[in-house]
Amino acid sequence: MSAVTEVPSKLSPPPGRAGGRKRGGLNEAHGRWASYLITPSLVILGVVIGYPVVSAIIMSFQKDAGLDKATGLFVAGGFAGFSNYAHWLLQQCVSTTGVTSACPPGNLGAQFWNAFGTTFFFTAVTVVLETVIGMWMALIMNRAFRGRGLVRAAILVPWAIPTAVTAKLWYFIFAFNGILNSVLGAKILWTSDEWAAKFAIIIADTWKTTPFMALLILAGLQLIPEEVYEAGVMDGASTVQRFFQLTLPLVRPALMVAILFRVLDALRMFDLPQILTGGGGGTGNATTTLSILVVDQIRQGFNSASALSTITFLVIFIVAFLFVRFLGANVVQTQANQQKGVLK
Amino acid sequence: MRKIRSTLITAATWVLVAIFFFPIAWMVFTSLKTEGDAASIPPKFIAALSFDQYAIVFNRGMGSYLLNSLTASVGSTLLVLLLAIPAAYALSIRPIKRVQDVLFFFISTRFLPAAASILPVFFILKTIGALDNITALGLLYAAMNLPIAVWMMRSFFNEVPLEIVEAAQIDGANLRTELVRVVLPILLPGIAAVALICFIFSWNEYFLATLLTTFQARTTPPFLASFVDGRGQFLAVLSAASTLAVLPVIIAGWVAQKQLVRGLAMGAVK
Repeated sequence: MSAVTEVPSKLSPPPGRAGGRKRGGLNEAHGRWASYLITPSLVILGVVIGYPVVSAIIMSFQKDAGLDKATGLFVAGGFAGFSNYAHWLLQQCVSTTGVTSACPPGNLGAQFWNAFGTTFFFTAVTVVLETVIGMWMALIMNRAFRGRGLVRAAILVPWAIPTAVTAKLWYFIFAFNGILNSVLGAKILWTSDEWAAKFAIIIADTWKTTPFMALLILAGLQLIPEEVYEAGVMDGASTVQRFFQLTLPLVRPALMVAILFRVLDALRMFDLPQILTGGGGGTGNATTTLSILVVDQIRQGFNSASALSTITFLVIFIVAFLFVRFLGANVVQTQANQQKGVLK
Repeated sequence: MRKIRSTLITAATWVLVAIFFFPIAWMVFTSLKTEGDAASIPPKFIAALSFDQYAIVFNRGMGSYLLNSLTASVGSTLLVLLLAIPAAYALSIRPIKRVQDVLFFFISTRFLPAAASILPVFFILKTIGALDNITALGLLYAAMNLPIAVWMMRSFFNEVPLEIVEAAQIDGANLRTELVRVVLPILLPGIAAVALICFIFSWNEYFLATLLTTFQARTTPPFLASFVDGRGQFLAVLSAASTLAVLPVIIAGWVAQKQLVRGLAMGAVK
C-alpha cells in the first residue's frame, strides 16, 4: 500500500504556511477539543463506508451457500480461496460438485474482459473529448464578453441535472424516429446497434460533463497573470505558440487534477448506460460497464459479486495511484491554488 | 479588425451555449405539448401549449417521489453540515496529530465505486429492517457526501486569516465563541457552496436509490428511469416529470450561482 504513504507527502501545506497553522497557544485542551470535533465524522464514515468495504472483501473469499444440485442437500458456504476471482479474471466456473471448468457462454463471468474493455474505452474517449472541448470552452469563457456570467451558469445546467433525466432526454433524441435521426436525415439504431450504442453513451456523457471540465480548467486559467501573455505578445509569439508554450504548461496542474477526477468518475460509470441502453445495448453487452456487471451479478450470487466489486475497486485504485505517481496530479496543492484563482 | 474578431467569438460562444442548452429547452417545450404533438414525426417546432401533462404526472403520484427526494436531500445536507463544519475546523485551524492521514482517509473514499460496498449495506439494512426507508437513505447520502464536504470546507477554513482567530483568543474568547462569532460569518459563502453541492448530489443520486428502495422511499431518479406507459405515447408526460425533477436543482443553482462555481473549482468533486 505504498500509495497510502505516497499521497500524504503531497498533501503537505504550501511552504511558509506549514508552521503558521501550528501556534504556540495550542495546548492539550485544544487538542482534545479538536479530536472531539472530528471523531463523529470518522465514526460515521467507518460505519457506513469502511465496514461494508471490508465485509465485501471478506465475502469475496467465501462460497455461496445453496442446494447441491447432485445430492439435493444444503451446502454451507465456507472458504472459497480465490475461486470467485478466478471466475472473473480467468472465466473459471465452479460447479456445485466442486469441479472447476471454463464458464459456459452467456455466463456473466465470461463478460468480465468485455466489460473491462468497454469501461476503459468509455473512459478514454469521453475524457479526451471532454478535455479538448472543455479546454476550448474555458479559453472562450476566460475572455471578457457580454453575458459571461449567464453563459457560465447556463452551461452548468447539463452537469447539475440528474443523470436519470440526462439518460431519458437522450433516449428520445436518439430514438429511431427521434430528433437526431431527423436532423441528420439518417436511420441509425442509436440504442441497439453495437457501435452506435457505444457512441450514444459517449455523446450523452460528453454533453453532460464537458461544461464541468471547462469550469475546472477555467479556474486554472484565471490563475495565469495577464503579464505573461503581454510578454508573449511582445516577444512576437503567435496565438498558437502562446497556447502551447504559455497557456498549456501553466494550466497543466489544474488540468491534471480535473482529468484525474474525471477518469475516476468515468471508471465507475453506471447510471447513463443503465438507463439509456438498458445496461446492454447492441448484442446485449455493448455498453455493459464494470459497475453494471456488478449489479447484474448481485442477482446471481453475492460472493461472486463481491469479488467483482473488489476487483473494480482495485482497478480504480491502481489507476488513481499511477496518475498521482507518474503524471504528477498534485490534488491538494492545485485545489488550494485553484480556489485563489476563482476568488479573484 | 479586432472588434470583428471579438464579435465573432461572442457569437461562437452563444452558438456553443445554444447547443448545450438545446436538449433541455426541447424537454421543457415537449412537456407543454400534447402527446400527439410530442410524438409527431418529424418533430413539431410549433404546437399548442398547456400544463396538462403536469397534472397527469401529479395524478400518477409523482408528488410522493419528489417529497422523498426532498427529505433525503435536505436531511442529509443538514447532517453533513453538522458533521463537516466542526471536522474541517479541527483539521484546518487546530491541527491534530496525524492530520495528513485523516485527510488522506477522506479523499481515498473517492476511489471507491458505490458498487464496492452495496452488498453489505443491503444486508445490514435488511437485518435492521431499514430497506425502503428514507431515513436510512438520507444517512447513506450524508456519508457519501461527508468526505467532499470536509475537504471543501477545510479549503474555506484555510482562507480565514489567522490574525482574526488570534485576536479573538487574546480577547479571552473561548473556543466555542471563537467558532461562532469570529469564524462562521467569514465562512457563510463557503457553507452555502458545500450545502448546494451536497443537495445536488443527493437529489441526483440513482445507484443507491434504485437498489435500496422499492416504493415507500422511492426517490425521483429511479422513478424517472422506470417511467413507462402501457399505452405507448408518454413522451410529453415523461418530459413534464423530468422538468419537475430538474427544477429544484436549477432554482438552487440559480440562487447560489456564484457560490456553486466557486465551490466546484475548490472541491473539484464530480
